[in-house]
Amino acid sequence: MKNSIAFRLAAMFAVAALVGFALLGGVLHRVLSGELARHQQEQIDGRLEDMAYMLSHGRPTGLGERIRDKLDTLGAADPRTRSWLSSEDPAFRYGDDLPMVEAAIAAGRDSVELPIGTPPRLTPMRIRSGELAAHGERPAVRYIAGVDAAPFGHTLRTFETAVLLLTLAGTALAAALGYWIARIGLGPVERLSDDAQRIGPDDRARRLQLPALPRELADLGASFNAALDRLDAAYRQLATFSDDVAHELRTPLANLIGQTQVALARERNAVELREVLQSNLEELERLRAIVADMLFLARAEQGVRARDLVASSIAQEVGKTVEFLDLLLDEAGMSVQVEGDAVAPIETSLFRRALTNLLQNAIQHSRPGSRVLVRIDGDERSAAVSFSNPSAPIAPEQLPRLFDRFYRVDSSRRNSGENHGLGLSIVKAVAVMHNGTVFARSDDGMTTVGFSVALKA
Amino acid sequence: MKVLIVEDERKTADYLYQGLTEQGCTVDLAFDGIDGQHLALHYDFDVIVLDVMLPGLDGFTVLKSLRSVKNTPVIMLTARDGVADRVRGLQDGADDYLVKPFSFLELLARLQALTRRGRSQETTLLRVGDLRVDLLSRKAIRQEQRIDLTAKEFALLAVLARRQGEILSKTVIAELVWDMNFDSNTNVVEVAIKRLRAKIDAPFGQSLLHTIRGMGYVLEDRSATEPE
Repeated sequence: MKNSIAFRLAAMFAVAALVGFALLGGVLHRVLSGELARHQQEQIDGRLEDMAYMLSHGRPTGLGERIRDKLDTLGAADPRTRSWLSSEDPAFRYGDDLPMVEAAIAAGRDSVELPIGTPPRLTPMRIRSGELAAHGERPAVRYIAGVDAAPFGHTLRTFETAVLLLTLAGTALAAALGYWIARIGLGPVERLSDDAQRIGPDDRARRLQLPALPRELADLGASFNAALDRLDAAYRQLATFSDDVAHELRTPLANLIGQTQVALARERNAVELREVLQSNLEELERLRAIVADMLFLARAEQGVRARDLVASSIAQEVGKTVEFLDLLLDEAGMSVQVEGDAVAPIETSLFRRALTNLLQNAIQHSRPGSRVLVRIDGDERSAAVSFSNPSAPIAPEQLPRLFDRFYRVDSSRRNSGENHGLGLSIVKAVAVMHNGTVFARSDDGMTTVGFSVALKA
Repeated sequence: MKVLIVEDERKTADYLYQGLTEQGCTVDLAFDGIDGQHLALHYDFDVIVLDVMLPGLDGFTVLKSLRSVKNTPVIMLTARDGVADRVRGLQDGADDYLVKPFSFLELLARLQALTRRGRSQETTLLRVGDLRVDLLSRKAIRQEQRIDLTAKEFALLAVLARRQGEILSKTVIAELVWDMNFDSNTNVVEVAIKRLRAKIDAPFGQSLLHTIRGMGYVLEDRSATEPE
């Protein structure tokens, strides 16, 4: 669960929602508290303006008393806003708790806590004051207005609580929705996984259903299917290979067991026994050769590469090979023509082995008296050598399989002692060990088989 | 030739013992690394055949302790064909290396090569029965008749004559005559032998070039022992 993509996505959605709501709440809070402060200010400023107007424009006679009456009326109409007058003249002194307010003004503060209501409770008030110099009968007077800050604070608290609750609820909702969306979005992955789980060794032909997959998963599915194809091919090759090995080993083993049993079933003289031993030895040599070649191929497949590379002329190596097989060519009345040359770094004995197998292959599959054409080509990256001989055409689908172990075009296994069907696979192994490839063509009555080697290791 | 064989596989040890004894060698056997090391360190042998996988002490360990004391030639035997094993064996001071399954002939040839080292004063005129092979003038003469041979035929005859009495496998012949040092599945050697035989044996009645079926060929004069 802790690695569930759905959970992780849900958590990420929740974090995103939390950040969003917090930012939004913060901005709204700022705006609201600004607005509230401005509103307070306006209320105070309005009262101050009224007071200043009354003080400067009222008739001087009995001004103090009239103003106090007026302020009483205002105070009764709006208990949240209060007014004070401060002067030397007792007629121009007005307001409850005047000394506390005067002290706050003298200290330069813009708020004061006053006991308000019944029972009295200390309540914060925002205060502001103005001053008028003495004028005619009126003495110098300081006029003060205050507004109860508690309702504004209360509004702000309520708003904060609402934002917090909204944020929490929104975050939870985003997480839940996110999880749900992720589950739906990941549905194809789950189906893909179910689909993949049905593929087993007994059902190797099954593949993932690609058309059912969304675009983002189609590539993954295709890669997965391709990997399955490769594994399946390797698996099948291994299976046929084991079959072939068993078959190739079975014949010599059967011969060994059979003729030894026959020999032992009667009294034999030394000459007869020697015959049996010699025949056994031939079969055993065949077994040994197969095992040695199989190990060679296995090593090549495990990635063993050619060593002790020597830059050599391929034409010269072909020459040596022709010299080696000269007697066989002679017996078959065949000749070899070599065209071109290239110099490549090779492990000589491996390379000669490949050339020998190719030439031998050409000799075996040609009519007596024909000519084998050897072509050597090179470019800056690789050098290739190919052997062409006149022969019956080979079907295109058979060509790549020529290099398979134990593969024979005519598929009737000839158990001639000298060819156990690994010749061309060894050529391929040698090519691979030199970072090269093999190729085969069949056209115009000529079969061409060859391989290349890389010029740089 | 005094040979020590250190090999835990009983059948292998037995046939090596019999084969080498019949070739005129004096053979001692050890069936595990500990005995093998003891014998190798306390007695003198001309050559030691040492298996890699041994109970007690493995072949590499035996080889190391031997090499810290003396330089007896050692051929390592192994069923594993890994390059790493081969390199390790040779680095530790083995003189040669054979991978199972190996042919007895090859082992014999390698043993002889190891013990022959250093004393290869060769004569240039070889005689096999009434056949004379002159390596310098590259002539083969039998019963006073010059035999006309191609270059390869002479090379083949020279290889066989130098090692007369010794069975040479097809692989060895291919290597010595054509410089092809791999197991080829061709019958080139058979054809070459057939042609050589037609020239050096057929006209003269008495055969010198013999086929040992399943093993190889040997050039020797058998007229004294078993008339054919």
